Amino acid sequence: MTGSLRTTIALARLFARRPDGDRMAAALPLVSFALVTGLLLIVVGGSQAFFTMDGTNAGFYVALAVIALSLLVVPLVTLSAAAAKLSARRRDDRLSSLRLLGATTSTVTLLTVAEAAAVALAGAVAGTALYAAAAPLVGLLQFAGEPLGSRVWLPWWVVPLVWLGVALVAAGSATVGLRGVVVTPLGVRTRQKPGAARGRRAVAAAVLVAVAWLAVSSLQAVGSVLGFAGVVLAMGSTFGLGLLALDAVGPWYVRVRARRLHARADGVAALLASRMILEDPKAAWRQVAGISVVTFVGVIAGAGLSLVNVVGDRSTQQDTWLMHDMRTGVLVTLGISFVMVACTVAINQAAATLDRARVYVSLDRLGVPPTLLAAAARRSVMTALWTVLLGSAAVSLVLVFPIVGMAVLLQPLAVGVVVAVFAVGVALVRGGASVAHRLVPGILARPERVL
Amino acid sequence: MSPLLSARGLTMRYPGSTVPALSDVSLDVLPGESVAVMGASGSGKTTLLHLLAGILTPTAGSVTLQTAQGPVAVHALDDSGRSRLRREELGFVFQQGLLLDELTALENVAVALMLNGVPRALAQAQASQWLAALGLTGLEDRRLGALSGGQAQRVAIARAQVTGARLLFADEPTGALDSRTGAEVLDLLLAAVAQGRTLVVVTHDAQVASRCDRVVTLSDGVIVADTRRTPATETTSAKARA
Repeated sequence: MTGSLRTTIALARLFARRPDGDRMAAALPLVSFALVTGLLLIVVGGSQAFFTMDGTNAGFYVALAVIALSLLVVPLVTLSAAAAKLSARRRDDRLSSLRLLGATTSTVTLLTVAEAAAVALAGAVAGTALYAAAAPLVGLLQFAGEPLGSRVWLPWWVVPLVWLGVALVAAGSATVGLRGVVVTPLGVRTRQKPGAARGRRAVAAAVLVAVAWLAVSSLQAVGSVLGFAGVVLAMGSTFGLGLLALDAVGPWYVRVRARRLHARADGVAALLASRMILEDPKAAWRQVAGISVVTFVGVIAGAGLSLVNVVGDRSTQQDTWLMHDMRTGVLVTLGISFVMVACTVAINQAAATLDRARVYVSLDRLGVPPTLLAAAARRSVMTALWTVLLGSAAVSLVLVFPIVGMAVLLQPLAVGVVVAVFAVGVALVRGGASVAHRLVPGILARPERVL
Repeated sequence: MSPLLSARGLTMRYPGSTVPALSDVSLDVLPGESVAVMGASGSGKTTLLHLLAGILTPTAGSVTLQTAQGPVAVHALDDSGRSRLRREELGFVFQQGLLLDELTALENVAVALMLNGVPRALAQAQASQWLAALGLTGLEDRRLGALSGGQAQRVAIARAQVTGARLLFADEPTGALDSRTGAEVLDLLLAAVAQGRTLVVVTHDAQVASRCDRVVTLSDGVIVADTRRTPATETTSAKARA
């Protein structure tokens, strides 16, 4: 064993035993990883059920499960990254002290990565309990005419693999995070600067949407030449181009909206909210970007599947179930995405609130209402969320406007259900964004801990 | 001359502590004077400032502030009442400016007015005048990260005065600055006193204290000296520890 490794292990054991006065700061990363793991196991367990289905449409169900899983990758990765970053940033103060005492860069790096992985592992184990509690409820969902039941339970050996995966993601994120800062004996400073969200992204997005629209318009021609496979290819391309367009235009669009909010802001909360977004539009976009993909799909699939009820020719009971199940799948995927984004937002808000505890206390001393900063933080999240939601919905409307129009006219109830899921999702994210409101009273009750 | 701020029998005992942080402290602060509060660490000087400013509520005793609307019993106000009082009647400068990172220098000053209901355009116009008066012309749109420590402290001083507060509280305002910049910041605070404001400053720095009209010295939670400096003579009323 090398000296550096021995030192790292000794330090890690020392810090693991330390009495931590700030329980909230210590508990947050743990809770975050528990949420990540719980949601991951629920999603994987739910998807697994589709791989065991029988019948003529079994292949479709597998394909739909894969699509749903791929849609959930973005919000899941964002949530994991938020948890990992939170875990890493809480050590900043200690890192510089260790460097001052002569610890090498490799010791500091190794210590940070090892601690992040250990916290993630502990959180992952706790998250398994969340999965165990939620799995029976998920099992009540009906697909192919019967509840998923015990098929949502994963084989036992998958669980430790997921734990390992979560720990590796945390370790990787901590390593990447350390590349973004310079740890010196005098302190930790950020190396990277927030990326600019340039207007040329809007041009790129417009081009992508135009190409996607062309692909949709030429479906019939492509079908007559290349057959069913060609149609699937064209639709897949449309879908992919639409998503690329969203990602290209997202940060730029968020910045444009924030600038407008800033120009019009006549209250302190609006002024602060707009400045919080403008500080890093990419980060503001990334936090809620998971919703963009699902909104895009939700609008198209929700409207399209509503119409199938009217014009579809369903010859068998299984086909009827398939149509019904696709709608259920869209709504469930949408719901899970909103839960993940709400968790991501809550984690980010909690971390930001604890990091700014001194400012909260100081502003309180100046006579500033204690909830003002928290309200501004919530508003910055909701501004980005509405921008993402409306932007994504607009892009999908451009692509399939006639279908959505017909769905609204012919199946208002089905469209209303989709809208209701969106409304509940927005309320969930708002709840996540309000976490600072709950933390501020605790900070102000013990100001001596932060000053 | 009647005092602007009057404290009587202030006692402060923190929860869980057997020793009071302040014991039976009485103090009058006259309009237009600068008062330095000195003492060793743990002597109770920051606690005294927090009680005078309505940041903390005393275990016993009273604090009365003269406002345009008449005397206000600060110790008897509820939390929101004390917050409003601090926002509208008092100005604060801390060791580090503790400004909002996201906002520009101009916006940080304007926010103090906007919180009192002043429209943004008017608030920013007034903030701009204060920044210019404090030598920050051309830096209005800079974020805090692009300002030096002294410049950030000037922004904090502008924020403390922009609302028209007659009484300024400063807690180690030069503590994080080099001696030259610290002297410049003190010049600005004393200039505010010369314009009719009142200053209560907590400091470790004897240089800072020597430039104030009056020095109150605390030890173990009681006032052990209260020295007033006049142009011609200095009068000292030191009292033994009770």
